[in-house]
Amino acid sequence: MQVYLPIAEMSVDAFLLMGIGFGVGWLSGLFGVGGGFLLTPLLILIGIPSPVAVASGANQTLGASVSGLIAQWRRGNVDAKMGGVLLAGGFLGSFAGVQLFALLRRIGQVDLAVSLFYVVVLGTVGALMVMESARAILRRRGAVRRKLHEHTWAHGLPLKMRFRKSRLYISIIPPALVGFGIGVLSAVMGVGGGFMLVPAMIYLLGMPTSVVIGTSLFQVVFVAANVTLLQAVQLGTVDILLTLLLLVGGVAGAQFGAAMGTKLKGEETRALLGLLVLGVALSLLWGLLRPPGNLFSAGPAL
Amino acid sequence: MSRWWLLALLLVSPAAARAQEAPLVAALSRTDIEVTTGFTGASLVVFGSTEQPIGPGADEVLVIARGPTRPVVVRRKVSVAGLIWVNGPSARFDQVPGYYVISGSRPAWQILPEEERQRNALGLDSLPLTSTGARSPAFRAALLELERNSGLWLEDSEPVEIAGSRLFYVRLPLPAAVPTGDYRVEVLLVRSRRIVAREELSFRVDRVGTADRIATVAQAQPLLYGLACIIAAALAGWLGSVLFRRG
Repeated sequence: MQVYLPIAEMSVDAFLLMGIGFGVGWLSGLFGVGGGFLLTPLLILIGIPSPVAVASGANQTLGASVSGLIAQWRRGNVDAKMGGVLLAGGFLGSFAGVQLFALLRRIGQVDLAVSLFYVVVLGTVGALMVMESARAILRRRGAVRRKLHEHTWAHGLPLKMRFRKSRLYISIIPPALVGFGIGVLSAVMGVGGGFMLVPAMIYLLGMPTSVVIGTSLFQVVFVAANVTLLQAVQLGTVDILLTLLLLVGGVAGAQFGAAMGTKLKGEETRALLGLLVLGVALSLLWGLLRPPGNLFSAGPAL
Repeated sequence: MSRWWLLALLLVSPAAARAQEAPLVAALSRTDIEVTTGFTGASLVVFGSTEQPIGPGADEVLVIARGPTRPVVVRRKVSVAGLIWVNGPSARFDQVPGYYVISGSRPAWQILPEEERQRNALGLDSLPLTSTGARSPAFRAALLELERNSGLWLEDSEPVEIAGSRLFYVRLPLPAAVPTGDYRVEVLLVRSRRIVAREELSFRVDRVGTADRIATVAQAQPLLYGLACIIAAALAGWLGSVLFRRG
């Protein structure tokens, strides 16, 4: 069934979009991430213009994360205070990111920048995840106990605040910076940033695992909403029909994925997710290195 | 696809026969193309009749359709450090027609002198495309190539068909990516390598229904549209989790 996307101004098979939504939703349910990092490249691959893919991807991430946030909130797994600090940084970051995106669009380097961001960010995160989980699988038996709390340079920073749910008393500068960085990436890559936020919260901020997923969803929902709004106002590239078609498949897929996810061990899940992230990065890298089929491309002048 | 325009063709012919003073009569099978959310492309037929017989050595008919113009930037990829490919030099073309189809009972270059063809922009190679930026003629050639591949620019893809020596018709294909706006269709009558009569017709391509409302709101009220997108996505996500909740 072909459907005409009013903002992308093209005709796409609705079942293909729902299928992509289902597949990405299934993986995101399985791994507990938003799945934006898979969705945006897939949309670009089927011919959706990059600006529309990024903006609608952020919009879809918002929808996909809402149900997870509600569930986590009910269980009391959201540190709203920490989320608020992350969010303050996130709002600033996404604002800066959309400006950067508008600039890139004017000089005609959106495709390059999106691909480069993906290759660098996904390549790094994927490689770290695979290494970390491989190490964890190898020494699963001879478990070495990690120190519960370590004092680092971050504890010497000013503006300290007490985060009760996270059982932390730290400066608000590191979480605000983390939030800012995720906000920029969210605007340029059309992702929620959960796959980076979760490790950042565990390893950089030292938050307990129990509140990490819920708090990351809290940040993702609001930053994705901000990106959607900014992209809609400034660039006019959010395609609501595209978003909704993806969500129809996505919410269904996420439930099946989550059901399957409970059967997998933590390290194995992380290793698989790491491989997936790495795979996406490598395929995009290949797209940059491969000699292009047509040297020329045409686009609307801005 | 209905064939009612053939009927219209038959109705036009006696009228044309009566109005002997008009050397050329032409019409369109439809003047409104509606782009709905289910739009996958359309086509329309230009048809008409001439006073004198059409054919080799006699009168010839040319049909040209032009869509709304917009500025286009053509970019060339260059290899940086022999490693990655990035967009390099670019040329900006103002006034690029979003749709251009020319078709004739014979190709325009066979039936008109070169300067006449250039002056009337009859043919892809004679489109008046002026550019700023990179100078190389390769950019113009690339633009022609890209537009031809998208199916929005066509030159003599199918000839004007002749029926009964004085009736002619040609189908104009409108692919799904056809831009919205006003289109002009020119029908030219060529006799002894001169344009002796011309008929100007027009049609509109419009988004209608949901597709139109979404695009209009997104353009006119971006803040409202952005908020609506956020709420719609959040509701869809929430609804999905309620519907698919297990147990």
